[in-house]
Amino acid sequence: MSESTTVHPEVAAFVAEVRARLLDLGEEQREDLLDGLEADLADQRADGADLGDPAAYAAELRAAAGLPEQPRRRTPPAWRAPRAEDVERLLDTARRQWFAELQRHPAGPRAWEVVAALRPAWWVARAWALVTWVDVWTGPWERVSVVPTLGVPLLGPALLAVAIAVSTLVGLGRLWPGSGPDRPLLPRVAVLVANVAALLALWSVATAGSAYLSSSPTPWAEQWSTTTADPPERGLHVDGRPVRNVFAYDADGRPLEGVQLFAADGRPLSVDPADAVHGPRRADRTVGCGWLNGTTRLFNVFPLGQRAQPDHLCTPDDPIDVPITAAQPPFAQVPPVTSPVTSPDPVPAEAVPVSPEPGSVPGPGAGRR
Amino acid sequence: MDTTQLLKGVLDLAVLAVVADEDGYGYDVLRRLRAGGLTEVGDASVYGTLRRLYAAGALTSYVVPSDEGPHRKYYGITPAGRDQLERQVKDWRTFSDTVTDLLQGAAS
Repeated sequence: MSESTTVHPEVAAFVAEVRARLLDLGEEQREDLLDGLEADLADQRADGADLGDPAAYAAELRAAAGLPEQPRRRTPPAWRAPRAEDVERLLDTARRQWFAELQRHPAGPRAWEVVAALRPAWWVARAWALVTWVDVWTGPWERVSVVPTLGVPLLGPALLAVAIAVSTLVGLGRLWPGSGPDRPLLPRVAVLVANVAALLALWSVATAGSAYLSSSPTPWAEQWSTTTADPPERGLHVDGRPVRNVFAYDADGRPLEGVQLFAADGRPLSVDPADAVHGPRRADRTVGCGWLNGTTRLFNVFPLGQRAQPDHLCTPDDPIDVPITAAQPPFAQVPPVTSPVTSPDPVPAEAVPVSPEPGSVPGPGAGRR
Repeated sequence: MDTTQLLKGVLDLAVLAVVADEDGYGYDVLRRLRAGGLTEVGDASVYGTLRRLYAAGALTSYVVPSDEGPHRKYYGITPAGRDQLERQVKDWRTFSDTVTDLLQGAAS
């Protein structure tokens, strides 16, 4: 028997090792097994026998005692980074379960066929989503548009085209061949991450308010459209307000009649006939009547004549017997002016022959002042 | 010949027999088995068997304190253990006779 009262360190270490391998058992069971082990091991050692391998000892002990084998993990599992096989197994399991679920529903396989046929659309969509996402996060804030812009002109569309090409190649299997479990792990995870990111980007765009979305294909077009005013007004306008009639005076300040006005590019400075109407009430209503070129009324020859009529405009063929009178000029006379021209001008462009024939129709204001 | 497989079948029987002869602690039982000729029996196997038999009620145990060293866990046989021993001895005899006859038939 042992003469020392203390346990030899070798024995103590051995017992500790064996205990470590019995941690999955209950404490009572473990202590039962280990009870007396120290002493027996001390005896063994005293006899000169080697203690042996604690792991093998523990396993043998379990087997002889009828206890189950030690579970794989000897120590409580500490979290460790998932290994490649773990990730692959997870992905494969998820895929298998998804397809099993699909089979379970009656319309499942058919619906999946439709979805699978739309894969090319998804390739384009995810390329757009990713490029747009890059666009949103780089550079100054701007609205999301169909074609992403990236500051540098043409870079956006070029990048989009490249992204679509890459996405299609990946989808077709030319790049990173195979699909699902056939692919090696890294490309598989990369594609999965890209798909999820694209989905999130698309979702965020879809749920963003209309303030974030541009209504035009490119921001440049949008800028132009927002600064464009209402459709240009018809007829002669000054400071945004329509002109009803024009009264001309010569250099000496005397009123002129039958003045035909044109812009520098030859456009006639016509008053819109609708704007030549005056009078708040039907009873006082007068319309402006243009000078005649044959039977055509011209509204760029001034001053326009006036006629009292409750409605419509002054048209050449209306049978109204009300006479056309001369419009009242605002001034009888205006101060004389001097010409700014210092030297004779070159011959101007050909004038358009629109003068009314003398005497054919009584011109407004002839002898009726 | 590898006797470990054979031993596994009869270890219960051997251990019971040794303990029935005289109470003993683990290493003591092991020594007696080895002295009796079963040199290849593993000590862990003996301890585990003792534990199992104890759990099954074939053995009883008690601790003997010692001033000089660590305490010892002694095992003794119970009446149920004796019954089991008797039964297993009979089974063993029948089995070994059968095998012996078979082998004699084959050898001749």
